[in-house]
Amino acid sequence: MVKLYGSPTSTCTRLVALICKEKNIPYELIKVDLAKGEQKHAAFTANQPFGQVPYIDDEGFILYESRAIARYLVKNYPNQGTPGLIPADPKAEALFEQAASIEIFNFTTFVGPIVVEKVFKPLRGLQTNEERISELLVSLRPKLDAYDVILSKQKYLAGDSVTLADLTHLPYGTAFYGAGFSEEFDSRPNVARWWKDISNRPAWLAVKDGA
Amino acid sequence: MLKLYGSPFSTCTRLVALICKEKNIPYELIQVDLAKGEQKRPSYTALQPFGQVPYIDDDGFILYESRAIARYLIKKYPNQGASLIPTDPKAEALFEQAASIETFNFTAFVSLIVFEKVFKPRRGLQTNEDRIKELLATLVPKLDAYEVILSKQKYLAGDSVTLADLAHLPYGTLFYGVGYAELFDSRPNVARWWKDISSRPTWLAVKDGA
Repeated sequence: MVKLYGSPTSTCTRLVALICKEKNIPYELIKVDLAKGEQKHAAFTANQPFGQVPYIDDEGFILYESRAIARYLVKNYPNQGTPGLIPADPKAEALFEQAASIEIFNFTTFVGPIVVEKVFKPLRGLQTNEERISELLVSLRPKLDAYDVILSKQKYLAGDSVTLADLTHLPYGTAFYGAGFSEEFDSRPNVARWWKDISNRPAWLAVKDGA
Repeated sequence: MLKLYGSPFSTCTRLVALICKEKNIPYELIQVDLAKGEQKRPSYTALQPFGQVPYIDDDGFILYESRAIARYLIKKYPNQGASLIPTDPKAEALFEQAASIETFNFTAFVSLIVFEKVFKPRRGLQTNEDRIKELLATLVPKLDAYEVILSKQKYLAGDSVTLADLAHLPYGTLFYGVGYAELFDSRPNVARWWKDISSRPTWLAVKDGA
């Protein structure tokens, strides 16, 4: 069974759990105590040198970086669960890679730090930097306008089938949506349609409140 | 012939040019005038909705995001030039791990430092030295982790060079050249790895202009 070392509420741990649900891959969540800094202890950093969650142990094969783990699991189990999360056709695959890169550089780059400011810092007793959030929103909005154009022509970010590139938006996107920024998605009709679709997938609902 | 729409000095355009050199793929660079905002015009955004460079037109197939373009070209031409994405499932997973490390544990910080130190002054804007300090404070432990990884293997994904190593070159070279060389050079394994990848003839061919 795949051992998933992480935290039930961590965004990146929940991405891996989501993919396991999509692909019907059983997994065992082994909790890493982030509050105690367990991820920075030598026993952890021996496997994950950056001291971050999650990592997996798949029959002795250690892998970290949630998107790398997601890709590995999708490719290792091609014949079960949701098909086509990474397309095989060369041009469809290229458009998936384009979408995967869009998620990182045109979405998570801004949404991630907004969520850190608005949600995570208060949880750690730190002060939210509202100016920084404003700057980040200014950068994010034209990107979401581009999303609305793309999604006016096709159902999902890489084409008309859902791929991993859509799903990777869910952990930070859900936190963003729920932290007072839902209007940024809801005011853009195609983004709103797409967001409602992916955020209601049963596999996401199964893990969104805890991997 | 592959058409590469971009700017000769753009980091992301030069990544695509580098991969073309690595894979012996001829390309035609069609210059997009960034100073005039050509990338924000409707004729451009019709093809690249984010108004960013580069994109390619490969016999009518339009693709953007430099790392996506790089992957597409590498996979399209498996039998020529360097082998930059492994096919063995575990080696491929370790490549994906390294590719993700580059984006989240390197470029996330290095690109913002380069933006403050290099791009803002060129646009007549003030460098925010406090922000650079914050970014460096986050980057330093990441480079310590690179040092550990690279003490055990030659490159970031294993003992063969992959796209994950090469993706560090455009921003990393600017970072190195604008006063932060010591951050690499003070870490023996990072220094060794950096010297290796930044001396590749293919990078030297495009580093000063795609």
